[in-house]
Amino acid sequence: MSTEAKRLLDKIRALPLPDKVRIMNVCGGHERSISLAGLRSALPTTIELIPGPGCPVCICPEEDIYQAIQIAINEDVILLAFGDMLRVPVNVPKGTVRNLEQAKAAGADIRPIASPTEAVNIANANPEKTVVFFIAGFETTSAPVAAMIAEGIPNNLLLLLSSRLTWPAVAMLLNTETPTFDALIAPGHVASIMGSEEWHFVVDQHHMPTAIAGFTTESLLSAIYSVLRQGIEHTAFLDNCYPQVVNPHGNITAKKIVNQVFNIIDAPWRGIGIIPNSGLELSMKFDTHNARHRFPIYAEEARKKSGAMPPGCDCAGVILGKIKPNECRLYGETCFPRNPVGPCMVSDEGACRIWWSSGIKK
Amino acid sequence: MCLAVPMQVKSINGFIAHCYAKGITRDVSLFLLQDEIIEIGDYLLIHVGYAIQKISTDEALSTWELLDQLLAEESFNA
Repeated sequence: MSTEAKRLLDKIRALPLPDKVRIMNVCGGHERSISLAGLRSALPTTIELIPGPGCPVCICPEEDIYQAIQIAINEDVILLAFGDMLRVPVNVPKGTVRNLEQAKAAGADIRPIASPTEAVNIANANPEKTVVFFIAGFETTSAPVAAMIAEGIPNNLLLLLSSRLTWPAVAMLLNTETPTFDALIAPGHVASIMGSEEWHFVVDQHHMPTAIAGFTTESLLSAIYSVLRQGIEHTAFLDNCYPQVVNPHGNITAKKIVNQVFNIIDAPWRGIGIIPNSGLELSMKFDTHNARHRFPIYAEEARKKSGAMPPGCDCAGVILGKIKPNECRLYGETCFPRNPVGPCMVSDEGACRIWWSSGIKK
Repeated sequence: MCLAVPMQVKSINGFIAHCYAKGITRDVSLFLLQDEIIEIGDYLLIHVGYAIQKISTDEALSTWELLDQLLAEESFNA
């Protein structure tokens, strides 16, 4: 740990801390940095760091994954997805295809990609085929996808969008009678696009200490120190602890492009349900690229899957910060990174996978 | 999935910047930074092949320190 990180830890230890204080982060990158640096054991035991809804793969609705699998299996298409999505299982009877990886093994043309530009290149290289790009992601990923669309996408490239916005999920958690946390660490790279102002509602409407953090140990400890001190002083303000990258208004060009190509919709989150104004869908102008409208039969079928979770899986509780990953009934019993049952054990940004990889047992 | 990686601009051709980091070069889209002045030598924060912000040299180096740790940890766990 750096000298600066040690100095910040000492400052935190010197604070007159309450008996218990719960700080939520909503970013898988933050959770990875916290686990990697061993911050939970380095900080006083009265401080609880809670991973919240910070993994877009984990909250991608079951019905959307099911739809992607069915399109890939039944239609003459090339299906593209960010690599993380391939192993996320859906809840289907034994012996049927339960994730995109199995669909690929069964012969479907499914290709993991790392960038929207790859999707454009694949569509251009295969003009006789329909190419479907299945996209889960938060604001940081939606902006590049919007750029890809705005630059002009090939006619044969369709999109199956499961893009979500982060702040409405936090708003939903805060609007419950008893929020599961006392302070918020807001996500740095989401804020680099959307601006720090987007998180003002946490302070203005809920009077909750809030700080935007980057991904280094020092930035995270600065944010933790800030929210602790705000709590002790019974004040709440939005502290930007990542000013090198985050400004009040974000990337204005990116936001303008996102608004041009997407509409904001009420959208389902896996295991959680519909969160108002939390999803992005293609605007009417780009309707001919909407895979849901091109293949409506699977959307209809998939609707029956709405809200389904694997039996015994407590991912929803983990995502909402109601239980810790290792309190799930399946964690380390039947659910492991190599053979995941729930989505939080699949993604590199899923809380269960991060905790398991950092050696936390049940 | 929201993690972005710093890279340095080596050459620019329209909205495409040829960028470098840690022995790797990539063509990166500048479409989301089209209203900013980007020059050779600048550091950019890259996510899924798109530059999303211009950053300082100091910020780029401290982020790479962290990413080196994450990568080392991952190869240890693999």
